[in-house]
Amino acid sequence: MRAEEILGLFPEENRDRWRGVAKLAKRLQEIRIRAGMPLTVLADNRERFVDRQGELVDRQEDAARPEAEELENMLGHLCRYSIYAFADEIRQGFLTVQGGHRVGLAGQVILDEEGRIRNMKYIRYLNIRIAHQIRGAADPLMPHLFAEGRVRSTLLISPPGGGKTTMLRDIIRQVSDGTAYGAGVNVSVVDERSEIAGSYLGVAQNDVGIRTDILDGCPKVEGMMRLIRSMAPQVLAVDEVGSFADVQALQMAGGCGCKLLATIHGGSVEEVRKKDYMRYVMEQGLFERYVMMDRRHGAGRITGIYDGEGKLCTKQ
Amino acid sequence: MYKAIGFLCILAGCAGWGSSLARQEKERVRHLRILFQTMGRMRSEISYGKHTMPEICLLLAELNDKCYSECFERIYKRTAGENGTDFPKVWEEELGNCLDRLPLREDEKRTVTELAGSMRFREGNGQAGRVGQAETFLEGRYRQAEETCENRSKMIHSVSILTGLLLAILLL
Repeated sequence: MRAEEILGLFPEENRDRWRGVAKLAKRLQEIRIRAGMPLTVLADNRERFVDRQGELVDRQEDAARPEAEELENMLGHLCRYSIYAFADEIRQGFLTVQGGHRVGLAGQVILDEEGRIRNMKYIRYLNIRIAHQIRGAADPLMPHLFAEGRVRSTLLISPPGGGKTTMLRDIIRQVSDGTAYGAGVNVSVVDERSEIAGSYLGVAQNDVGIRTDILDGCPKVEGMMRLIRSMAPQVLAVDEVGSFADVQALQMAGGCGCKLLATIHGGSVEEVRKKDYMRYVMEQGLFERYVMMDRRHGAGRITGIYDGEGKLCTKQ
Repeated sequence: MYKAIGFLCILAGCAGWGSSLARQEKERVRHLRILFQTMGRMRSEISYGKHTMPEICLLLAELNDKCYSECFERIYKRTAGENGTDFPKVWEEELGNCLDRLPLREDEKRTVTELAGSMRFREGNGQAGRVGQAETFLEGRYRQAEETCENRSKMIHSVSILTGLLLAILLL
């Protein structure tokens, strides 16, 4: 992560204010910009404020407070002065920008006649989440994900913020590039919310491997079917399985001979088994490995690896 | 002898001046055609392609006319990078410089350069509609100029030769 990448997020006229923050690039986690409220940054899990000169301060009274117009300019800049081209993302409440960083948006939503969100106006709250790809995050897991050189279908389980997506991203990269445990294979990813590859204008901003095809912004069910038909993947990866339809699509993909890599929210294998839509696939043995993670000792910590029947193989 | 040479020189000079004016008129028609077609391409790239403005500039850089091609390429290079400069500023500056040398009227140049100031539409249809307004204006001007160009060229040629004759008679 380079300081220039952080500065590039801001319009030219405001960059001076952010030079101090940009120096923290490697440790930066979040930048929160709210109209009329103190500018806040989160680095090393510590919240600080930004003053008018771009210095980091601890007292909120000293912090700069951006005006609504500044946020509008910033949105224009983030969308390359082509807000219409990002209308779908804005409707969903986030943008993925160059570098794979995600910008959460809040303001006033515009509904259509059927009550669905059509667009958003008066965007007055931005939350820039700085992307940090952790290469090697999946290293301890890799020996368990291969059997005789072939990838095992694996489900990553953790509560929100447990590091599932970071882990999945690194597994995809290693499976695609090839490791000491197995040669590289073609991986297809349905990246519904652009969180895995962090695609910006169709180009993956994160390293997801040389044999990886990304279907960005596509609903999971439709995306899985489309990729199986069009890209003939050996491994199919999706983030956050959360419905019967998702599970049915996974079953279909598994039936086509694809190995699966997926994540799901949950506190334990038993808790996941209790979900109506997961019980059947777990009984059918769709997944050969379940990886339990938690965030109690830092995001991304593996607490246990279970086999297809839910029996503990390795406790970390 | 000298009078005859002088007479011919004045006549040739005025005819040359006339044909230069006529050529300028034809150039104006050509540039208006390129500009309204450019606006049309922009409109369709916005509404169907959903491309961003810098990307559209890269597509427009494929235009055959060197002057526009270079201009759009510069806009792309200056705005698309990681530290991209503000698009409206660059558009106005680059197209302002490019159109400055061309035989277009002030309001025609303004229609193109000021377009970047209205790039805040949140929906593709609205943004394409705004570009469509500029396209309609320039197309209207093009049709009008094309219609009158032939007659104006003939008139300019006739007037310039007559002026040459008159000058030659008066001076010689």
